[in-house]
Amino acid sequence: MTLVPITYRGGIYQHDIVTDLIEDLGGYIIQKHVIAAEVVLQCFVPREDIELIRQVAKPIFGEVTDTPLVGTEIAIVSMSLEIHHLPHPSCDIAEYVRRIGAKSNMVSLARGPGKRIAGLNDEERDVINEHDIAVYLMGNFETCIEYKMPTLLRGIEVPVVVCGGPDKETLKKIIDPPVDGYVGNVGRFMRRTKEADEIGKLDEIVAEITRVLEKKREEIQKDPLSVSPARLMGLIKEKVPAIHAVTSPTPLTVQMAGLRVKLPYDTFAGDLRKLEVEDGILLGDISEVVPSRMRDYILVKILPFSETNMVV
Amino acid sequence: MLAIEYFEVECTEPVGAEYYRQITNDVLLDYNLLRVIHKLHIYIDPKVPIFVAVGILKKITTRVRVGDFANVNPLEGKITLVISDETYLAPMLKIFWQKFGKDHVEQPDRFTVILYDVKAELKEIEEIIVADPSESLYKDLIYAFRCIAPEGFRLRSETFSKEKFSFVASENTLPENIDEIIREKFALMGEVP
Repeated sequence: MTLVPITYRGGIYQHDIVTDLIEDLGGYIIQKHVIAAEVVLQCFVPREDIELIRQVAKPIFGEVTDTPLVGTEIAIVSMSLEIHHLPHPSCDIAEYVRRIGAKSNMVSLARGPGKRIAGLNDEERDVINEHDIAVYLMGNFETCIEYKMPTLLRGIEVPVVVCGGPDKETLKKIIDPPVDGYVGNVGRFMRRTKEADEIGKLDEIVAEITRVLEKKREEIQKDPLSVSPARLMGLIKEKVPAIHAVTSPTPLTVQMAGLRVKLPYDTFAGDLRKLEVEDGILLGDISEVVPSRMRDYILVKILPFSETNMVV
Repeated sequence: MLAIEYFEVECTEPVGAEYYRQITNDVLLDYNLLRVIHKLHIYIDPKVPIFVAVGILKKITTRVRVGDFANVNPLEGKITLVISDETYLAPMLKIFWQKFGKDHVEQPDRFTVILYDVKAELKEIEEIIVADPSESLYKDLIYAFRCIAPEGFRLRSETFSKEKFSFVASENTLPENIDEIIREKFALMGEVP
């Protein structure tokens, strides 16, 4: 059974029919937003059952769309928090990827701007490495991008997509070491992205992120995870009641190969390790429970089959 | 960019120049500064790196008078002012209190001010100068150019006079021949600094 990411949009009236159906089919709801009288569900469902969900949702005017970024956590790396980069383009891009299901975090560098003075410190590096992918938003000058990119990529282990002012070919030529994705003609700008061509650029960024993540997904499938992160999420929700008291919008953030649990590490890490997943298999056996550099959260890194020899 | 007679962005990278032309336009439009700039020349060399902006300002009187934002109606010994724009209401009230005394000034609601027993002509009241936004013009211009200049260019040198201005920024120590560069850029516009 292959689970695929989708988004369901519909009225709040009778939406529990859809939630029940998804759960009965063996799917998982990652995020549920209730906005006024509308419900948005981001979920993983079996590929062959999408049509069934569409049919069930039709009488209650629900809409099912493919959203390939559901269940991913993306770092939007902005060079600073100054007016030069915010709210456009950093927020525009961070918000746009959220629309198609990703959980995006904006990582702003303390010493990102400039050419010679640009740098990346250890905390920023570790925070970026906790995500599934990093999207670097660079400026307009190829001289500067060429000069500072090696510094900003030092120690980064996750796939990187670079957006910059010069065109794609130039970016490919000047960025060393090479990264996984390039989007040209998106540098610094000081206006809202609302024209058709600007929205087209945002779509191009999303397409590039999707392409890079698909590649990563294929890599993961070659050596499958011991447990699906979405399943683990449901399990933690069920067995760790403290998670319901967390006021953050996503107390459990699903990643491609792990989970961010927004509970204090010192208090809850031990309990999480001892959490029984199935038939005496503990979470500590099939994953690494480590402290996150983001506040005092917990990061659960699920180990692949080759290391644990079990899939639950 | 119709309001500016001369506007050029000179850069060693043509793509970068086009982006910075757009950024400059957006920022000046946002801060409503297009109307005060007559000529503008921007020079950027990311290799040095340096950012230079030189320009000529327009002579405009921007003094705001009571008549510009209020309708003044004299009626039976009192004068009623109907305010259309609240922006200058506070400085106007301050001036009225000073001039006529608090007993003679009343504000029954947000958009109405009534003056009682005031010995002033209608014309006289309409002509009272309330504010002069040009006082903060230099501050606004410097702020706008800080936004336009690439971020990280934190070493700055700026000269703003009534007619001309120059703004230089870099992340390294500014080159010694900076005055010469500024003169060159002014010459491109057919002006002298």
